[in-house]
Amino acid sequence: MRIAVCIKQVPDTKSVKMDPETGTVVRKGVQSIVNPLDLYALETALQMKETYGAETIAVSMGPPQAIEAVKEAIAMGIDGGALISDRAFAGSDTWATAYILAAAIKQLGPFDLIICGERATDGDTGQIGPEIAAELGLPTVTYVNKLIDSGKDEVTVSRLVENGAEEVAMDLPGVLTVVKEVGEPRLPTLRGKLKAKATDITKMALKDLELNTSYIGLKGSPTRVVKIFQPKVVRECRKVYAENDGMVEEAVDQLINFLKSKKVLAS
Amino acid sequence: MNDIWIVAEQHQGKVASISFELLTRGLALAAKSGQKLCAMLFGHNIEDAGLQELIDRGADMVTVIDSPELKDFLVEPYSQCILEILQKYKPQIVLAGATTSGRTLLPYVAMTAHTGLTADCTELDIEPETGLLLQTRPAIGGNLMATIKCPDFRPQMATIRPRSTPQAPHKKGRTGTIDHLTLPEKAKFSRIRFKRFVPEEEEFNLQDAERIVVVGRGIKKAENLPLIRELADALGAAVGATREVIDRGWLSYPHQIGLSGKTVTPKFYFAVGISGAIQHLAGMQTSETIVAVNSDPEAQIFQVADFGIVGNLFEVLPPLIEKIKRGEKAW
Amino acid sequence: MVKHYEYNQVTPLVANELRKIVGEKYVIYKDEEKLEPFSRDEIPGTKYRHMPEAVVRPATAQEISAIMKVANREKIPVTPRGAGSGLSGGAVPAHGGIVVSVDRMNRILELDAQNMMITVEPGVVSNEINEYLKEYDLFYAGYPMSLETCFIGGNVAENAGGGKAVKYGVTSRYVLGLEVVTPTGEIVEIGGKLLKDVTGYNLVQLMVGSEGTLGFFSKIILKLTPLPKARADLLCLFDTIDDAVELVPKIMTDTGITPTSMEFMDRSSVKAACDYLNESLPYENCGAMLLLTFDGPTKEQVEHDYELVGKFIEKHGAQEIYVADNPATTERVWKIRRNIGEAYNIFSTRQSGEDLVVPPAEIPAMIENLQKTAAKFGVMAPCFGHAGDGNIHARIVCPPEWSDEKWKETLPQILEKIYADVSSRGGRLSGEHGIGHKRKKYMDHFVSNEYLNLLRGIKLSFDPNNIMNPGKIFDL
Repeated sequence: MRIAVCIKQVPDTKSVKMDPETGTVVRKGVQSIVNPLDLYALETALQMKETYGAETIAVSMGPPQAIEAVKEAIAMGIDGGALISDRAFAGSDTWATAYILAAAIKQLGPFDLIICGERATDGDTGQIGPEIAAELGLPTVTYVNKLIDSGKDEVTVSRLVENGAEEVAMDLPGVLTVVKEVGEPRLPTLRGKLKAKATDITKMALKDLELNTSYIGLKGSPTRVVKIFQPKVVRECRKVYAENDGMVEEAVDQLINFLKSKKVLAS
Repeated sequence: MNDIWIVAEQHQGKVASISFELLTRGLALAAKSGQKLCAMLFGHNIEDAGLQELIDRGADMVTVIDSPELKDFLVEPYSQCILEILQKYKPQIVLAGATTSGRTLLPYVAMTAHTGLTADCTELDIEPETGLLLQTRPAIGGNLMATIKCPDFRPQMATIRPRSTPQAPHKKGRTGTIDHLTLPEKAKFSRIRFKRFVPEEEEFNLQDAERIVVVGRGIKKAENLPLIRELADALGAAVGATREVIDRGWLSYPHQIGLSGKTVTPKFYFAVGISGAIQHLAGMQTSETIVAVNSDPEAQIFQVADFGIVGNLFEVLPPLIEKIKRGEKAW
Repeated sequence: MVKHYEYNQVTPLVANELRKIVGEKYVIYKDEEKLEPFSRDEIPGTKYRHMPEAVVRPATAQEISAIMKVANREKIPVTPRGAGSGLSGGAVPAHGGIVVSVDRMNRILELDAQNMMITVEPGVVSNEINEYLKEYDLFYAGYPMSLETCFIGGNVAENAGGGKAVKYGVTSRYVLGLEVVTPTGEIVEIGGKLLKDVTGYNLVQLMVGSEGTLGFFSKIILKLTPLPKARADLLCLFDTIDDAVELVPKIMTDTGITPTSMEFMDRSSVKAACDYLNESLPYENCGAMLLLTFDGPTKEQVEHDYELVGKFIEKHGAQEIYVADNPATTERVWKIRRNIGEAYNIFSTRQSGEDLVVPPAEIPAMIENLQKTAAKFGVMAPCFGHAGDGNIHARIVCPPEWSDEKWKETLPQILEKIYADVSSRGGRLSGEHGIGHKRKKYMDHFVSNEYLNLLRGIKLSFDPNNIMNPGKIFDL
């Protein structure tokens, strides 16, 4: 079995700060990490590798420094990796990104399974998984929270939906997107780090892929960002202190009154 | 025909409420652009009353494909049905709910149809000069809003965050057509087989809840959770949690609110023992009314709250629950 | 020969005088509710709390000086207070009187980038100094673990240590100069922007760690270092405690590399924290963990260091070594270390937090003895902390089934045993938390009477009326 895991390098949301004056994102000092939700995709692949035996490949599209994300995946136990990077890819929206990723996966393939995280914490669209599936003409199951069984031709999984879970079986090859319930991602080991350093990571640029150049980059993207602005969530918190017994009573009364004014409680 | 279409949803034959939220969006756009508002709906044994309800609440036309193959959501048959409608009616705009099915189906369709798709929109508008759909969505954990358009490809597609708008009201005497299509040949084929549905043990859906009591690490241990449930019960609210609580195994993942969990926009959000990490705020800061209890007066959660009690939750909650319950009798 | 000092109360007249000095709204008096938060620090429980009679929040050295003059005239005790995040009662007004909070003196006064020095007021949150310095690629290295709340003034008063002391040392290494308001109200400058200075006694180092008994610091000059651009952590799992602690001194001697920090966690600490966090790491069969941090100017340098040390540790029998070199994984490994305390607080709130320090090479034997003592008395004694600098935070945790009486009776016996052992190894009572009024009764287990008399002499030459934070470290 061969499994491809799509991962993205994202800024660490914890260190992302907004400049209150300009309303822009302060990039200085922001470190990059593997999209936290992609770690569950990597973990799923590694569990499958342990249980059923598989060759696992991490695939990432991004600037040259995104190679760090691929190395981190290998340090966690993934067998190999590929970085898809070209200036011509810059500005790609999800359609163009999925188009490029699908071409790369086809070239690196054949794969029995492609696993993606639920979404990336920066773009937050969650569209890449199903879009890759559509582009490759494969079935896809999203929001997978449990891998129930896997055979040569079929996987059975549970997927989380609004009011419960669905159990479905999907023919292979196919695409899964996973949520964090699949299992806590393992940490990279020293052995893994050393292996990652020694592993030759495949680098793919525009010239290495079979792509229609009018479908890539900013120009090939169907969507356009026309405006970015700061949300106007203006809240003024009425804070009451309840740091000892006497104050608790009064604070609770004030809260009750507030809830009544907001019609959360009947007045 | 170039109309505005919504992808309505049904569960076991009953039209789901997200469909009526989508109608609200569609009506607002149709009023600006003068286009017709249509709804598509796929399923099996769909109740007729539901179809009429789509019309009562704003659809000018409802196109239905009712077939055993569509009983449960399967991405391949469903996407073939949409593709059929795209081909037949050439919509200008297609809106779907940012639900687990909508967020699977629309990207699958957009890729195949080669058009743009904007995920999880919270605001929609029509650009007056061009008539283009302006799709606004939160980015970078809700720190920024981005407005996106799709100028050169059709249809313009977007998924809409559930509960980000009220449901369209019934209007007596509205008329519209209900159009039944047969299942397209390609939609008979699925490489995914539905086996069974396992309902969440606890009957709840966080994203549907109007009121949520959300617990953070301040609760200290799982044994203290009954206090939270008691508060939630008194308020008629669902229970949610921060990542810290989920990671410790105190509640299951479907309860998680925040960047790596669910995004919620209830009418009332009660944060208990939550410091307010940016990842959590991203999933809740657009709630209508936010109340927080935390012992740290500097806690970030107070920055997005309307009302805050600085104090020990174990001291504050018992009298609060008591008082809410007492009030119950007076209602 | 404990001399008894009589103190007077803060009368309404004195309160008025204080109001005239700092302004009406910066004095809290006769308002129990508002005074209460100033009666405690971060020591769990209520045993070491004491209410102040008044809280004063000055803005300048001149105002502090005026307060001290009034206090001397009236013989009212004065306790300086930073953020109140201490762990030995340093900011608690053990004899009541006036608490002087420096929270309004929170300005960064000057960055002297050429000399790599910064001048700050005592109420600056320590973490803010580094937030401010980031932009200049500079860094203040002497900060403790509670960095998000504590004030620099408190750090200097307690000579705080913390996680990075193996490589960077403790607060004292970075304090070059102070503007001091003495207990009698004189404003004196000591030290300065000098890296060498033998012009008289080294009063700067006397003031650092004096726990607020010798004066206020109204200005603090700190030495800075270049900001390390890269960091990585190794989380090393071992079969036994011995495997882990015996390696601690060898890591530096055998590899020639000084990690930024070397934190140790024994089996019970690891288990409590991992259970609490629902951490999925394979810790069940692990007897101890070491958490090593490396930092440096480049990623390559840090990689080189952790690989060398990591290979050395692997060769010496680690079960597994995990590498964290980005914010997400770093947070995950450090979370374990940081949550030990909280994990035990949930288990039982009856605890005694110890801050034992021994010569680093004595760590293995000290821990072994401590575990034996704990086992003998039937209590839990998770050990964790800054193994790299010989400083272990042992907690004596009361079994939940014990009665309060039994706990109160047994704890002193346990401590006697532990302290006797630590002392016999050349160790001391506190590495970084301080003595305060919490630990002073055990001072004589560790230091001679002659030493204490020297301290008493120094104290009286600064503070003849013994009004400055009386009842701390030792009795006069």
